Amino acid sequence: MRDAVEQWPSDAELLRRHVAGDDQAFGELFGRHRDRLWAVALRTICDPEEAADALQDAMVSAFRRAADFRGESAVTTWLHRIVVNAALDRLRRRAARPALSAGDEPAFEALAGSAGDPAHTTDIRLDVDAALRVLPPPQRAALVVVDMLGFSVAEAAVILDISPGTVKSRCARARARLLPHVSHLRGNRSASESVSPAQGGDT
Amino acid sequence: MRGQTTHPDTDVLAEFDAGLATGRRGARIAAHLAECDRCRALRDELAGISALFAAVPAQAMPDRVAQRLDSALAAEVARRNDSKRARGDSPRHRGPAGRPARNRGWRLVSLRVLAPAAAVVLAVAGYGLSQLPHGSGNLASPSSGMAGAAKPANAPALAPRSGAAARAAPERMGPDSFPFLTSHTNFLPGTLKQQVEAALRVAESAGATQNAPTAVITCVRNVAGSGTPLMVESARYQDQAATIIVMRTSKGEVALVAGAGCSASHGKPLATTTVP
Repeated sequence: MRDAVEQWPSDAELLRRHVAGDDQAFGELFGRHRDRLWAVALRTICDPEEAADALQDAMVSAFRRAADFRGESAVTTWLHRIVVNAALDRLRRRAARPALSAGDEPAFEALAGSAGDPAHTTDIRLDVDAALRVLPPPQRAALVVVDMLGFSVAEAAVILDISPGTVKSRCARARARLLPHVSHLRGNRSASESVSPAQGGDT
Repeated sequence: MRGQTTHPDTDVLAEFDAGLATGRRGARIAAHLAECDRCRALRDELAGISALFAAVPAQAMPDRVAQRLDSALAAEVARRNDSKRARGDSPRHRGPAGRPARNRGWRLVSLRVLAPAAAVVLAVAGYGLSQLPHGSGNLASPSSGMAGAAKPANAPALAPRSGAAARAAPERMGPDSFPFLTSHTNFLPGTLKQQVEAALRVAESAGATQNAPTAVITCVRNVAGSGTPLMVESARYQDQAATIIVMRTSKGEVALVAGAGCSASHGKPLATTTVP
């Protein structure tokens, strides 16, 4: 009566159905990955309104360009690539305009939807968000994709459309640059910057 | 100590850690690290950044962003169907199993952007359905790809999404276009499974579907989470007004019986059963 085989179609299968004209398939595919795609857009752009714009651009682009997907990478990689591109595009356009998003952390907090989180994790998240803002967008995107979302260097290279070596160097520079901004977040797990010498023997 | 006078920059250490310092340069850094406590500590700090970032709690997409994407997606689907018609293609695309969608008697256009698979687990927990035989598995990880397994799991526990999002979609794309029936059937615990199967056969053969009242839509959204409603029937359960919701989850199809109190804030089902 119903179709057992369609109960959990693969991403590739959903994309194929979408290209074949199935109205629901793309929404289901995007819905599966939406929180991670949102995360990559939000962390890369550091502005929830613009992140939403970028994610919408990306979704529409993926919807229309689905037939171009040739399966060289996983569907998730392809989706992330489109989102990162859209995010970096937005940032490039914004760079041509006067800065506008300084001091909008309250709005960020409201939009980013942290309600219900334990305060501690929210704090870490906000501090990490703030720290990410110090990075140039290309480094930020690399760090988000590799360190936050856990993609391999090879996958990140596809997502970011750069060589694996460039992924590594951007991540390395990003980590070095962030170090002074996030050391305090790691608490007593290490004795960063000799601030708390009493904990120096922690390791 | 030898080498101690030329501590590498943080940048250089980070590159070394990323495997970018090779040959004599890499060997020089390695030799320095072997001797220099300070640089080893710095290197540990750098390694800790990756761990810190990996542990940052994932953020679920805010509802208002989801609503916006739903509207955009609905517009895209409509646009595509319009252009198909303009080209003279059949506006009736084929369903997933190859049958024309028309034969199913309804169009299950559920906008899954709004309610992703991950939300089903939360909705289930939120409504006391964790004992559901088929609906409570880990629905998120099978699809999250090679990178997905570890991190999305720490997504914050959100409240089940409200039904308000549905209003953003144009009517012909309504996410609530499940087949809806009203009947006088009195579903009973002992025969629930058989009655549901019979109701599904009726729904399938009946073809056309009526529009569900708002209260039913809200109830279905709350109870079903991201499950895809296949059929909803307003009937009775043990002689009390009830809503029977058959939905597809990743691991099978289930039927839930929601009582008269099923609303935006309360949707604990009276009974559940699996559907073969």
